[in-house]
Amino acid sequence: MPEQLSGPTAMNRVQDGVVKYGFIAVTVILFTYFALTEPAFATSSSLFSMLKFTSVTAILGLGVTFTMVVGGLDLSIGSTAGLAVQLAAMTMVFYNLTGVTAVVVVLIGGLAVGLLNAFLIVICKIPDLLATLGVMFVIQGAKLIPVSGQSVSSGMVLRDGSVAPGHFTEGFLKIDRGFVGPVPLPVVIMLALVVLSWFVLSRTTWGRLMYAIGANPEAARLAGVRVGVYHGLAYVISGVFASVGGLILVSRIGQGDVNAGSSSLLEAVAVALVGTSVLGLGKPNAWGTLLGALLVGIVLTGLTMKGFQYYHQDTAKGLVLIVALLFSFTLSRRKVRYTPAT
Amino acid sequence: MRNSKVLMAAITGASLLALAACSQGTTTDPTSAESSTSDAGSTTEVTGDAPAPFDGDVRIAIVQQSGQGDYFQQYLNGTRQQAEALGVELDVYDAQGDNATQASQLDQAIASGVDGIVVRHGYPDTLCPGVNAAIEKGIPVVIYDVEIQTCAPDAVQTQQSDADMAGLVLDQMLKDIGSDQKVGYVNVAGIAPLDRRDVVWRAALDANGWEQMFYTGSFTNSTATDTAPMVSSALKSNPDVVAIYAPYDEFTKGTLSALEQNPDIADGIKVYGADISAADIELMAAEGSQWVATGATDPNAIGAAVTRTLFLHMAGELPNGATVDFPPILVTQDFLRENNIKNMDDLRAAEPALNISDVSGADWIPAVTF
Repeated sequence: MPEQLSGPTAMNRVQDGVVKYGFIAVTVILFTYFALTEPAFATSSSLFSMLKFTSVTAILGLGVTFTMVVGGLDLSIGSTAGLAVQLAAMTMVFYNLTGVTAVVVVLIGGLAVGLLNAFLIVICKIPDLLATLGVMFVIQGAKLIPVSGQSVSSGMVLRDGSVAPGHFTEGFLKIDRGFVGPVPLPVVIMLALVVLSWFVLSRTTWGRLMYAIGANPEAARLAGVRVGVYHGLAYVISGVFASVGGLILVSRIGQGDVNAGSSSLLEAVAVALVGTSVLGLGKPNAWGTLLGALLVGIVLTGLTMKGFQYYHQDTAKGLVLIVALLFSFTLSRRKVRYTPAT
Repeated sequence: MRNSKVLMAAITGASLLALAACSQGTTTDPTSAESSTSDAGSTTEVTGDAPAPFDGDVRIAIVQQSGQGDYFQQYLNGTRQQAEALGVELDVYDAQGDNATQASQLDQAIASGVDGIVVRHGYPDTLCPGVNAAIEKGIPVVIYDVEIQTCAPDAVQTQQSDADMAGLVLDQMLKDIGSDQKVGYVNVAGIAPLDRRDVVWRAALDANGWEQMFYTGSFTNSTATDTAPMVSSALKSNPDVVAIYAPYDEFTKGTLSALEQNPDIADGIKVYGADISAADIELMAAEGSQWVATGATDPNAIGAAVTRTLFLHMAGELPNGATVDFPPILVTQDFLRENNIKNMDDLRAAEPALNISDVSGADWIPAVTF
């Protein structure tokens, strides 16, 4: 394409503008459209509940973002969130321990899954997608072994006929149901993790090295980067973030729901992918992931208020993803930095 | 190259606009696809004036744990048609089986400022905070089939009467086989409606002197297929049972296929089931079928009756904490064969009681019948 060598033309500039601001424009247009046509949409309580609804997807999406940055993809996040749900329920209901203990146990669980992924990928050299796929199935099944496949709830009858000694503590349930001022606590957690992720990825050497590894691991290695360490670190972060998402889920459900988290994987991957197109960056980034999650939240809330059924909404979610990918892959003149390793 | 990319941008923008335009059209068109299913209902005559708030614009929401599958689609069809019949706008929140989503959607329904909410299925621990928050805000809530009495006592409770469903069928079983017989049982513990049927079963065992020779069953993603081999083994070790009670139609199907695999044992064993669907009717009425009786409700009619219950509650004609049960009917194999019933429409025509249009009725509510 020789014309690109002679500087940007007017057409190029229009195109760049579309790529850079198109996604944000779509979000703003949809938001405005729903706000104007559905009076209940833009009320503060409705917006806060939408943000709350979005928080788990966004947090899991941030974990995925880290793994996409290093050129991989963590398929085990949904199971890890589900594991967190079981661990929290068991700690409190079976062992009658405090909510704080449950939080610690859950975070250690997420860390352990992250380390397992890192071990399989970095040490055993199994491709990212395949290793995390295997771990996904293992965790999905293993988390149900100690509970015999049953949902753990306060006051449940155990196999020996006795009643479970513990229950979900008030404090633990506040993780999802509490507020900081008018803002629901999970929204605060989500925003804190977005800022943290943005800071690590964009403002620290770690983050820059992670992007470098994702762009060209061989070049990074030759430049003296300890590729394995940073590659593994991304999965550890992903595992911990997934367990934080699981904490919010289990406190929202109020019992150890065996199915919790299973539907989160694809949505989290989708919002992280949508996020690559924000501001035309063409690479996974924290704010993009947040915006992707918000757009999905806006579309789902708006369509529900307009009376659409769940299958329309799934279709709409897919279209959002495709439109976002059109912005970053088809329209962008910049080379896209994310291609998943297999 | 550049031009084609600009064209792509134009197409993308245009298709987004088209998408937005479509959504506007569908909401204002009451004859959209959802309401024109084969289970279209008609309505009863209205003689009274609608009380407040139904003299103005009313919007309600249903927050359902899952909407997938025939049963739930019919249920929602009933809800939708009953809402339309009174000119009420209905928002549908469907968690697709995800409990955390259901909790969030209940929050969203409350935040969207609806005038009344139906909550259908789900966990009490998950739903109680939202239900109580709604009631505190003055939004009437009707629950369907969630054991929520203790933590949200002000919500109106509704359920299909599983006790009646089991009772009707077991009375028929007693008539058919008499007391002091050897019987088999296919069920699992831990699922609310099945547990309610279990209570009636155990009472019937005691009262009728029936001896339970086996108790088996498996509740999975493919219940009928997984239950069949279990019943088959149980039959082999207990070939002398004269009747089997399998109080959920997937269990009944599994039991029937176990009998088919053991033709030497199966002869003369009567099967008593629960629930009804077009497929169930076909199985029961088939030549040589051993499924002789079932308890039945029509999900369309229940979906409509739940909505009427909410209307009554919103109008102040039903107090906080009230309980409404939706009665089932007994359907026997003989009845199906005599009336040549092939599907749900035939059954509704032969048994108008399935419509339960008198449950939660009022002279100002046009009750939908199917």
